[in-house]
Amino acid sequence: MNRKRSLLQNMLLTLAIVAVLFFCLFPFVQILSTSLKHQFDWGNPSLIPVKINLNAYKELLGFVQATEEQIPATVKKLLENPLITPEQREKILAKYRSTSDVFPFPRFFLNTFLLSASAASVSLALAVLGAYAFSRLRFGGRTIIQRSILFVYMVGGVLLMVPLYQMSVKVGLARTVWGSLLSLLLIYIIQTLPVSLYMLGNYFRTIPYSIEEAATTDGCSRLQSIFVIIIPLSVPMLVTVFVYCFIIAWNEFLFASVFLKQYHMFHTLPLALQSLFVSKNAIWDRIMAASMLTLIPVIVCFMFAMRNLSGGLAEGGVKE
Amino acid sequence: MASVRFKNVDKWFGKTQVLHDINLDIKESEFVVLVGPSGCGKSTTLRLLAGLEDISAGDIYINDKIVNLLEPQHRNIAMVFQNYALYPHKNVQENIIFGLKRAKASRDLIESRLDKASKMLQLQEFLQRKPAQLSGGQRQRVAMGRAIVRDADVFLFDEPLSNLDAKLRNQMRYEIRRIHREYQTTSVYVTHDQVEAMTLGDRVVVMKDGYIEQVGTPMELYLQPKNIFVATFIGAPSMNILDATLYPEYIELEGQKLPLATNLVKTSVPSDGQKVKFGIRPDFFQDEQLISAGEALTTLPNVHIDIIEPLGYDRELNLKLGHQTLKARLDLRSTAREGDTINLCFDMRRAHIFDIETEKNLTI
Ligand SMILES: Nc1ncnc2c1ncn2[C@@H]1O[C@H](COP(=O)(O)OP(=O)(O)OP(=O)(O)O)[C@@H](O)[C@H]1O
Ligand SMILES: [Mg+2]
Repeated sequence: MNRKRSLLQNMLLTLAIVAVLFFCLFPFVQILSTSLKHQFDWGNPSLIPVKINLNAYKELLGFVQATEEQIPATVKKLLENPLITPEQREKILAKYRSTSDVFPFPRFFLNTFLLSASAASVSLALAVLGAYAFSRLRFGGRTIIQRSILFVYMVGGVLLMVPLYQMSVKVGLARTVWGSLLSLLLIYIIQTLPVSLYMLGNYFRTIPYSIEEAATTDGCSRLQSIFVIIIPLSVPMLVTVFVYCFIIAWNEFLFASVFLKQYHMFHTLPLALQSLFVSKNAIWDRIMAASMLTLIPVIVCFMFAMRNLSGGLAEGGVKE
Repeated sequence: MASVRFKNVDKWFGKTQVLHDINLDIKESEFVVLVGPSGCGKSTTLRLLAGLEDISAGDIYINDKIVNLLEPQHRNIAMVFQNYALYPHKNVQENIIFGLKRAKASRDLIESRLDKASKMLQLQEFLQRKPAQLSGGQRQRVAMGRAIVRDADVFLFDEPLSNLDAKLRNQMRYEIRRIHREYQTTSVYVTHDQVEAMTLGDRVVVMKDGYIEQVGTPMELYLQPKNIFVATFIGAPSMNILDATLYPEYIELEGQKLPLATNLVKTSVPSDGQKVKFGIRPDFFQDEQLISAGEALTTLPNVHIDIIEPLGYDRELNLKLGHQTLKARLDLRSTAREGDTINLCFDMRRAHIFDIETEKNLTI
C-alpha cells in the first residue's frame, strides 16, 4: 500500500468507510431504538427514546404476565355483573388470555435453538468424515461426487421446496409434528453440508499428511488419527463451520414456513417474527425487541467464531 | 527385534518407476544404512517398509511374514520422518510419549523412557514447549525421541541428524550406536553422511536411481567397490578415476608404465591395449620421501602439485598428471609445496581397474 496518501484521499477514504458502516449498521440501531420506545414515541424520528421502555423485553422473556389491563373496561364491567357464572367468566377471560395474543418467545427461541444446534451438529459430524474422505482418500468417482454435492448446493433453495414437501408428504413425514421437524432438520443438514464439506476439505488439505502418517506408525488407525490429529488441529475451522451451519438454520424462513405452518407451537423465530409483523395490531416495540433477541445468538456465534479464527494450530509440525 | 526382507520389490508412482527389483535381507538386530544421491529412492524404501506406501510388485517380509497388505499401525515399527512430522498441537513431552501411551505402556515405563530419552537428546528444558517454539535441530531431536522410546520391532530413521551441528551430530551418532548396542533393535537408517554410513552401519546399501548398486560392510564398500559409482560415492575425498590403457603386464597412465600386481585383473579380461579407468583412493598415496625401505610400492613419479589444502590432521594435495587431475592425502610430515613435483607411492593391490563401458570393477 502506498503510505503517502494525501490528506484529501485519507478523508475520502474515511468518509467512504463511515458511509458503508452507517448503511450496514443503521437498521440495527433502528431496531434497538424502536424496541426501547414507548408507543407515543414510535413516530419520533429521533433514535434516542424519550423514555426507556423495557416492557417489551420483560414481556418476551416472561418476566411479566399479560395483565388484565388489556381487558377493555366495558368487558370488565360485564365481568363484575353478579349474574355471570364463574364458568362464563372464565370463558370470557380466556378469550383475552388466549395464546394467540401472547407471544411465547422463550418457547420459539428454544425451538429454533434446538433445531439449529442439532442441524449444525449433524452437519458438522458428517462434514468432518466426508471432507476427510475427499481430502485424503483416493477412490473412484471422488471428483464426480464432490462436484455433484456442490451442484446440489447451487440449485438448492426455492426450486426444491415443492418437490421436497411433496416427498415428505408421500413418505408420511409431513403428517406429524415430529416428522415435519425431521424433514426440516434433514433439509438444513443437506443445505449446509456442501459448504461445510468444502470449507473443511480445504482446511484438511493444509494439514500435512505426514503428521497422520506419524500417528499411524505410532499405532493409530485412520479413524483414530482423525480424532487424535485432524480434529484437534482443525478446531478453529470446526467452530467456524458449526457457526455457519447454525446461523443458516437459525435464520431460515422459507422451508420452516412450509413445513411448520400448521404447528404453531413449533414455529421457529423467523416464522414467529413474521406472524408478529403481519398481525393487525402491530406492537412495534414488541416486534423490534423480538428481532433484537433473535439477533443475539447470531452475534454471540459471530464473536465466538472470530476469536477462533486466529488459526496457525498446525504450524511447526513439519520442516517447510 | 525382527528380520526384514525385501523380495523383488518394485515401486511405481504413476508411470515412473522409482524402485527397481529391490532385494535385501536384513537380519535380526542388524543396523543397515541406506545411502545414495538425492532422489534415488531411499525414503521410498523406508516408507514401503513402514506401510505408508503400497508396493507395486514383490513382497516385503517382517519376521518371515509377508506384510504387503498390513496397515502401518499393525507393523510395530517406529519411524523418524525426514520432515519430522511432529504433532503440532502437542508439546514435546506428549509428542515423545504418544506411541507408548497408545500402546498402553505402564506409567513407570513411560516416565523412565521419557526421562532417559530427553536426557540423551538434551531436551529436558523443552518438554513443555510446542514444536513451533523449537529450532529445526530441536524438532529433529523430538522426532528422534518419539521413535526411540518405543518398543518397536524395527526402527526406521530418515536422515535423523541432518539438521544438527557437527558437534551435536557426533554426539547423537554415538548415542544411536549405544542405543542400538543396548536394545539391539533392527534398524534401517537413511543418510547422506559418509561418516554416519561408515560408523553406524553393520552393512551399507548404496542406491542409485532406484537400483541397489551394492550391499556390504563399510570396509567391503570402501575396499572392494563393485563399480565406479560406488567407488566414488563411498569415501571422502572420493576415489581418483583416471584414464589408462591396460596391457597384460602393466597399466599405462599418462605415458608411465606401472607394473600390475599379480592377480589384480581377472584373466578373462582382454588386456591388449584396451582403454580402462584406473581407480586409486587419495588416502592410499604416500610421499616417496617418507616411506621406509622394504615396502613393495609402485611409484608415480613427477606429479605436479597444483594446490595444497591443509586440513589439520593431514594435507590434501590437488595434483596434475598430464591432462588429468587427481587428489592425494598425505600425512603432515610431507614437505611438499605448491608448484613442486612429487613422487607418489602406492600399493598396487589397493588400486582398481574399471571397464570403460559398464563401469564395473574388473579387479574383483
Ligand atoms: N508421492 C510421489 N509421487 C511421485 N513421485 C514420487 C513421490 N514420492 C517420491 N517420488 C519420486 O521418487 C523418487 C525417490 O524419492 P525418495 O523420496 O525416495 O528419494 P530419497 O532418496 O529419499 O531422496 P532425498 O535424499 O532427497 O530425501 C524421486 O525421484 C521422487 O521424485
Ligand atoms: Mg528422502
